[in-house]
Amino acid sequence: MQVTVPTEKRSLDKMKIEDMNVYYGAFQAIKHGSLDVPENKVMALIGPSGCGKSTFLRALNRMHDLTPGARVTGKITLDGQDIYADDVDPVTVRHRIGMVFQRPNPFPKSIFENVVYGPKIHGENNQKKLMEICERSLRSAALWDEVKDRLNRSALDLSGGQQQRLCIARVLAVEPEVILMDEPASALDPIATSKIEDLIGELKREYTVIIVTHSMQQAARISDFTTFFLLGELIEVGTTSEIFTRPKDKRTEDYITGRYG
Amino acid sequence: MAQAVAVSETRERKAANSARGRRAVDRLATGALWAMALFVVLLLALFVCYMFYLGAGSISWHFLTGLPSELTAGGGVGPEIFNSFYILILTLLMTVPIALAAGIFLQEYSRTGLFRETVQFSAESLATVPSIVMGLFGLLVFVQTLRWGFSALAGAVTLTLLNLPALMRVTQEALAGVPATYREASMALGGTKWQTIVRAVLPSAVGPMTTGIVLISGRIFGETAALIYTAGTSVAHGNGAYDFNPFHTAETLAVHLWYTHSEALIPDVDRIGNGSALVLLVMVLIFNVVARVVGRQLTVRLTGKG
Amino acid sequence: MTNVRAAGKAHRTERLALIVLRGASGFFIVSIALLIGYLAVEGTKLFTVDHKSIFEFLFSPTFAPDQGHIGALAFILGSLFVTAFAIAVGGPFGVAVGVFFAELAPKRVASAMKPAIEVLVGIPSVVYGWLGLTLLVPLIRNTTGSTGFGLLAAGIVLSLMILPTVVSLSEDAMRVVPDSLREGSLALGATRWETIWRVLLPAASSGIGVAVILGIARAIGETLAIQLVLGNAPVIPAGLLSPASALTSEIVMDMGGAAQGSLLQHSLFSMAFLLLLIAMGLIVLVKLVARKAA
Repeated sequence: MQVTVPTEKRSLDKMKIEDMNVYYGAFQAIKHGSLDVPENKVMALIGPSGCGKSTFLRALNRMHDLTPGARVTGKITLDGQDIYADDVDPVTVRHRIGMVFQRPNPFPKSIFENVVYGPKIHGENNQKKLMEICERSLRSAALWDEVKDRLNRSALDLSGGQQQRLCIARVLAVEPEVILMDEPASALDPIATSKIEDLIGELKREYTVIIVTHSMQQAARISDFTTFFLLGELIEVGTTSEIFTRPKDKRTEDYITGRYG
Repeated sequence: MAQAVAVSETRERKAANSARGRRAVDRLATGALWAMALFVVLLLALFVCYMFYLGAGSISWHFLTGLPSELTAGGGVGPEIFNSFYILILTLLMTVPIALAAGIFLQEYSRTGLFRETVQFSAESLATVPSIVMGLFGLLVFVQTLRWGFSALAGAVTLTLLNLPALMRVTQEALAGVPATYREASMALGGTKWQTIVRAVLPSAVGPMTTGIVLISGRIFGETAALIYTAGTSVAHGNGAYDFNPFHTAETLAVHLWYTHSEALIPDVDRIGNGSALVLLVMVLIFNVVARVVGRQLTVRLTGKG
Repeated sequence: MTNVRAAGKAHRTERLALIVLRGASGFFIVSIALLIGYLAVEGTKLFTVDHKSIFEFLFSPTFAPDQGHIGALAFILGSLFVTAFAIAVGGPFGVAVGVFFAELAPKRVASAMKPAIEVLVGIPSVVYGWLGLTLLVPLIRNTTGSTGFGLLAAGIVLSLMILPTVVSLSEDAMRVVPDSLREGSLALGATRWETIWRVLLPAASSGIGVAVILGIARAIGETLAIQLVLGNAPVIPAGLLSPASALTSEIVMDMGGAAQGSLLQHSLFSMAFLLLLIAMGLIVLVKLVARKAA
């Protein structure tokens, strides 16, 4: 199924997905998904649980390479470059396309070490530089003021919401171009959630954000574009206001109005 | 716009450059880990082949069943093999019930508390006692204080103490592997806790437990240091060599392998040693295979799943 | 009526079962207490009955009980040296193979190779000793011109013997590291090796510490495998290639000829008690490491 964002609304497309299929063994989890992702916008992926939106997201930075039995076909490009091409290293792909997970997953290290983990493995060893990166990333993730006095304390001492913002800071520190977020606020309380949502609004100035969410309200609050998934298929994509006010597909409308779980 | 594209291009190139070096390190490390693991397996294969090469010539019907010789060449190891099995069986008769009961208690009845902690700590401590030290304890208590002398029973009780912790652990792990729903279902049908354990929980644990018991049997069969000063380094003489009296001295095959080399006067030490070592190795291999096959079969039969 | 009786019987069975189960569990406590008690009494007779000094026992290199010299330093050092050698070689190697099984090995490869590790556990220590004696000692003798017996041979044999312990425990330690950390690191553009080295190993460090400590415990108590290849000279070893003795090998060598109540017998029991104390110390260490992790 070919669904595209209406031309007049489009900025430059950062990623293009053409006819993506994802299989787990014999089971096909994503069926012929095609999607264009505009640059410097927030794209929300919504749909009932089990519809394949997380599976779709994880294909975009080749996380499925790590799942035994998982197979991805189709063409996925980042700035026109096929990220599944034979000569492309998944490590480089994940460097350019960062990911924030459902549950915060800080490493059992200090706050500082968590943030500079990426820059360090990518070869940055200058302490002063690392400190700059750390501060800039934590500021961008709206966490600096809360942790600046205890950068050497364990990241595990932070609250859940702080941990998640730390994980975002950790992604920002490697300066990706696209940030994938897999229900980043689902494990957090309402106050922490609203902080994350504000943060996402800030992030789109510099990054392209693709976010999976199970909350339609959240999608409505933070995203510019919304894609609706059902049973492994991309049903409809459009500007968020269109999707929520004038859905073209009956199934989208049923979901928006609460007829699916 | 053009500028933005250029910036992104240099960054890409830089990332790609560093990625190339890092990928090389990754490949190197992966290769090294594969090589190390394969090395261990190859080493084992080499050992097995070497033992067969050394020992195959010694194996004969006479060697496996004949009586040992004290002074002249041509002795066999029949009574030693018999004693190894005899002590193994005596040990299992004591180890299995105690370890099973304690494992059930810790896993099903007493999940917290000081008593549990103490039992657990005692078990871990017992498991760490060097087998020669356990042998001396057996010497002090069973051989000397209880006046059993060097005997199959003294050896078996010592080995029981040595292997109880491992078997208790096996029991605990087997029970932990049984889904909680089995327990809930049985309790909900009005079963008492004991009925639940005996009828609903244990049958599912029998497979993994059998595997554990057979593997531990292999260890008991080959144990040496703990037996030298408990079961003794000689076999009862003459027709009494195949002897079920638990109070008679009972040198096992593993002890015999050590003793012939260290102390004995016979001229064909190497022949006896190579043959004994091969028999021990083959027994260990058999125990390992049996553990796998029987454990899997029992699991399939008793729970209906593979 | 029958129902009531059946219920009463079930209740009695329940109570009886609990008594038996509790008794079996208590057996562990009694056993270790008796063991420590007996060895503490026999192991200190050297000092309480024979009035020898603990200092001499621990720090004098002269062991000749028939002349009144009971210094066990040579044996203590022998035990420490072979154990250190085994850990230095077998420790990293074992952790590496454990990491391989937990992180790299495809399922089919792992299930083909794991039984080999289990067989290594099962091979009796006396057979390891025999292998060392017939394979390793001649090899060392021919390449170095020494007797072949000594710390090197014993260290190599021990490295191999502690390998399965270290492999399986460090594999377990790696497996309990949550997948989310793996994903988090890989999603930041780390390679698999960088993920293992910088995130997973540090996260599993206490479990791996336990693996190494239990490896040490196994090595220090090992007897026959090293007795057969050490050369059994009761002297402080001059180098890797000179014959040496360890606490365990000395006990097993001389216990058979030690007269009841003799200075030799008391010395050997003191060595056994020392081994027991080391083993207990290691177990306490394991507890501390595990608690620190939790």
